[in-house]
This record gives sequence, structure tokens and C-alpha cells, in this order.
Amino acid sequence: MAIITSPRPGVKRFIGVDFDFGALRTAGPRYWAFVVMLLIGLGLGGLAWANAMMHGGVVMAMRDAYPWGLWFVNYMYFVGLAAGGLVVYASVQLFGAEQYRPLSRLAVLLAGVFVLMALLGIITDMERPWRAVWMLLTPNPTSPFIYTGSAANLYMFVCFFDLWLLITHKGGDKWAFRMTLIALPLAIYLHTTTAFVLSMNKSRELWNTAMMVPIFLTSATASGIAVLLIAAYIFKHFGILELSAKMFRSLSTLLATVIIIDLFFLLVEILTVFWPTSAKPGHAMRFAEFFTGDYAFAFVPVLVLGITAFTLLAGRKTRHLPAIQITASALYIVAVFMKRYSLMSMGFAVNPLGTHASPYAPSLTETLIALGIVSLGMLIVTVSAKVLPLVETSHAPE
Amino acid sequence: MSDSKQIKPAEEKPLLPEGCTLSRRRFLEGLGATAGILAAGIVPAVLSSQAQLAGASESAKAEGGNAAIEGIIEENQPVNYPGKPVSYADPAGKQKWGMVIDVKACIGCRRCVYACVEENNIGRNSGFTYIQVLEMEPGKVDIEHTNLDYEQGGRPDKWYMPVQCMHCAKPTCVYGCPVIATWKEPDGIVVIDYDKCIACRNCLVTCPYDARHFNWVEPEVPEDEVNPKVPLEEKSGVVEKCTFCIHRTRNGQTTACTEACPVGARKFGDLNDPESEVSILLKTRRVWRLKEEYGTEPMIWYVG
Repeated sequence: MAIITSPRPGVKRFIGVDFDFGALRTAGPRYWAFVVMLLIGLGLGGLAWANAMMHGGVVMAMRDAYPWGLWFVNYMYFVGLAAGGLVVYASVQLFGAEQYRPLSRLAVLLAGVFVLMALLGIITDMERPWRAVWMLLTPNPTSPFIYTGSAANLYMFVCFFDLWLLITHKGGDKWAFRMTLIALPLAIYLHTTTAFVLSMNKSRELWNTAMMVPIFLTSATASGIAVLLIAAYIFKHFGILELSAKMFRSLSTLLATVIIIDLFFLLVEILTVFWPTSAKPGHAMRFAEFFTGDYAFAFVPVLVLGITAFTLLAGRKTRHLPAIQITASALYIVAVFMKRYSLMSMGFAVNPLGTHASPYAPSLTETLIALGIVSLGMLIVTVSAKVLPLVETSHAPE
Repeated sequence: MSDSKQIKPAEEKPLLPEGCTLSRRRFLEGLGATAGILAAGIVPAVLSSQAQLAGASESAKAEGGNAAIEGIIEENQPVNYPGKPVSYADPAGKQKWGMVIDVKACIGCRRCVYACVEENNIGRNSGFTYIQVLEMEPGKVDIEHTNLDYEQGGRPDKWYMPVQCMHCAKPTCVYGCPVIATWKEPDGIVVIDYDKCIACRNCLVTCPYDARHFNWVEPEVPEDEVNPKVPLEEKSGVVEKCTFCIHRTRNGQTTACTEACPVGARKFGDLNDPESEVSILLKTRRVWRLKEEYGTEPMIWYVG
């Protein structure tokens, strides 16, 4: 493990961080091919956004039946993926889970980038992005949008500030701990208010349940840990971070625990919806679409993939295998996306006046914008992997 | 028998002139009949309400109808009102607007819809209308099983129910708007600031009556049909909905849909005025509101 002690060519020091631009020069062709691929994705996204700005909402697949589309699915999803990073980082600081310490910089970086992606999704959906300034000038306290929007912005800054603290060691362990005390409640607040955007609508019976909040918290944490686990394996594979098998084992146990809690919450909700003494026609009719209706293709896999992922991680003989851990994580990342998609679009599919709409599928423009945002996020992480000192250096006083 | 057969066509002829054109005589007959019906319906109601007022003016609150209307007016207060009235209509007065729709009379002809589209510059390409007339099977008013795209004209063997913005006293859309781009005026009309709407569409999501609509395309209206009193370009890329024809009603006219209804199923008026048709209907008829259990306190009542 090479620790940079003196400036070498290509290293630029800025706000106390050594940006190793020299590493980019020595990067191999495979790295550059990947970067070019991401740049192409980003370019396509930019073109699609320009198209949307020129022609307005008509190029999107959203209509009055589906006022929100892929951007909102992605907002819930990316905000959720950001949770995992923070949970891992916080458990180092709060619970002394030292095995995760080598992962903490990567975890915080991913959290920040995911929230950035979530916010970009909102901006690219707005026809007049400059009007967003009204959110600051005349915020309406009864609108859940205000809370989730401000929380996401704040959370992004806290994550990047945290990363800076971790890299520069400014303030030492004391400040790292204090920042956790701010960031962890903020993360819970962010997922709670994101769930409120759905659940605080008496007009949409499918969403109008307090259970939405715990489900959002557990889904977010599970998918976040899963994506962090995969990212950690990639970083280990390319020799950027040195991570032990014990750390992965511990991370996958945490993942399995959160998955089973997530599935349990879902089961409780399903029981409440269909139990003869509690079933309400509107809610039960809408929820039934998940199992036998138009949305079965998206929701049944949520349960199948979720249970499969948990079974894979619970098996005593196989759970320590990297391949199993990666497979289970990937399954749950897909499952949570399907859950977000079916939850949002099914909430709209039967409107308050009982009109049924055929399932929502994003248009090409929407898909390309999302692709561009994902490419941008991956580009930031890819470049950071070379340029930023993500390796946790020992800073104990010697 | 033979006599009656001979008499019958002679009786029918003046009632149904050829081509159903409105002859002078038919018009006068209709006028007389309408006046008669109105007199039969409203005069006793007015008299009875005045008798009530005269007889027990002190305990007016105790009277079922009056107390209910007073409670409604009390509930119907401005929400998130920025303090200045909307620019394209006269200032909000002391009225509290309300509407009563007779679902028994509604024949599903959609003339209110067409009048509304023309009056309010709704884009002919926008794919929505402020008023949605729901077709239902006779038997029950089941909001979960309705047909919106029924054949033009309506059928006598179906039930019809027009739904539009209810101008709720507790409007979820106003509560849900993150930037206060929509609010409730002192006269009860829920309005939208087209220059402020950020197009988050949270109000579409949170409205229990599906009353709000987003302009996904730039609204197109033929040049000779544009109503200069209603904005058009500003509506591109923002949310719009029924305004109770704010530009008409604040200038002493009734709404376009009320005017267009051929069977008089719609009554629009001031709840503050005890002699308005709306007030009288609320006091004398068994009215109900759509999704009353949601507590949104809509300002459109149905009577059947």
C-alpha cells in the first residue's frame, strides 16, 4: 500500500486534498475505454435533456394518468442507495465496527454521488428548472416535497463535507464522530420524508399507509448495503482498496438482516390490506393488481428475488463465497428497483375516479436522461477511484 | 278510439315542429313552463325560508339548513392566500361560491364540457378537459367503476355524474404545492399562478377528484376561438384546472358550464346569499358531496 508522503508529479493539492492527476496518465486502455463509454452515456443523456427542454413534457411517457415517471422512481431509488454508505460509515463511528473502517471513504463518496444523481433527476424533469428557486423563497410547510427536497440537498453537502473531513483528517476522530451524529439522523429524516411524498396522499389509497416509512427505510438500507458490497468487490478487484473476507462476511450478514426485516414489513402490509376484517375495497383492489393484475410482472419478482437473496445469504455453507454475496446483492438491487417502480406506477394506474391506465413504461428520452445521470455518477466514482485518496490511511498519533 | 286517433296528431304538431327548430310559440310555451316550474319549486322554498327567518330569527342557527350553510361558509376560508387577488379578474368580493349538480337530471350530453373547453382556452390538443363526465351503470354510484370515454351524446339507460375541481374548503392540492403557486381566494375559488408553477405535479397526485391537469404539450387553440379574458401561452408546461370561470363569475355572470347545461342540472351561486338557488337547494334538498369521508369539504354538491 503506497502512502503518498511527498508531492510527486501530477499531484495537485487543493483544499487540503491531494488530487493525484498523475494516476490518470498512467491508467491503462481498459480504464480509458470505460471512461469513454461513460462519456458517451453522459452525452446521450445531455442530448435527451436538450430534447426535453425544447419540446416540453410531450417527449416523456408521463401523462395525466402518470404525473410522475422514471425520474421519481429513480429519485426514491438513488436516495435509497445512498443510505447504505452512511449506515456503514456511521457504524464505524458510533458502534466501533472497525472492520468497516477501510470502506468508510468509499461509502461516503457513494452516498454523496447517489444523492447528487437523485437531485439531477428532479432538475432534468423540470421544464423550467430556474423556477426551483421558489422552493427557497416561498416554501409551503404543508408540502412533503419541501422536506425531502431540502433534506436531499443538505444530505449531499454533508456527505461531501464528511468525505473531505475523512481525507484531510481535519478535526480528527472527534469531528468524524460529530458529523455522524448529524448525518445519521439526517439520513433517516431523508428516507422518512421521501416516503411521506407517497404516503401523505389520501387521494392514493395504495400509498396511504404509515407502513410506507419503515419499508422505505429498510429497502433503502438493504439496497444501499448491497450496492456498496458490489462496489467494494470492484474496488478490491482493481487493487484500489484492500479489504478482508471477514469484512465482506460481516457486510453480507448485515445485508441479510435488513432484507428479512424489509420482507417482514411487506408481509405485514399485505396481510393488513387483505385481511377480511381490515380490507378496504379501494386499497385491496389496487394491491391485488400487484399479484394478478398488470403489475404482477414487476411486483412478484420483488418477492421472489428478495426471498432468493435472503436464502443465498442465509445458507451456512455458501454465504462466505464472494460469488454468492455478489449474486444476492445484485438480486436485491434489482428487487428494490422493481419495488419502487411498481409502487409508484401502480399508485397511479387506477386513478381516484376509477379510470384504469395501461402500465407505465418510460419513453426513450426519459430512459436516456436516466442513463446520462447514471453515467455521470459512475464517471465521478471512476475518476475518484484514481484521483482521490480513497485508501484509509492510518492517522493514529505515533 | 277512432276519435282519439284523429285528435292525437293535431295535438302533437305544435309541440314538435318539423326539424325541431325553436318557433316563437314553442319558445313562449317553454318560457311559461320554465317559469311555472321555477315558481312551483322556488317560491315555496323562498317563502318557507323567509317564514323561518321571520319566525325564529334569533335561533337561526338551530334551523338545520341555515346552520349547515353558516358552518360551510365558516369553513370556506382563504388558504395560502398571498394577499392580492389574481390579476386577470376583478378582486374577490364577499361572495362564497358554490355549485349544486343534479345527477338525476344529467343526461351525459357533455355540453358543459364543450362550453368549458371553449370558454377557458383549453388546448384542443391537450387531451384533457376540466369537467369529466363519468358514466355509470344504474344501480349504485360506484366511483371505482366508471366510464369516462363513453359515446358522444349519452344514453338514457346509464347514469352520469360530472366531476371537476370542487374548490374544496380543505384543498389537498393547496396543502401539497411546495411553492405556494396555488391558493384559495377569499371567495373560495382555488386558483393557480401559471408564472410560478414549478411543474412538480404534486397537486395532480394529491387531488382526490382528478381535477388537475398538466399541459404536456403547448396548448393550441384556433385563433378565432381564443378567449382574450383567459391566459393561453402561460399555460404551457404548467398545471391548470377549473376556475369556476373566475373571469365571468367575479363580473356578475354565471359559469360557462351552468349556462350551457340544456337540462338545468347545474346551479351556481353565492352561499352568502340566502336567496340564491344554491343556498335554497342546500337548505331544502338532500344533497351529498363526493368523497365526503376525505374531509376535503368540496364546494360542489350533488343532488339526485
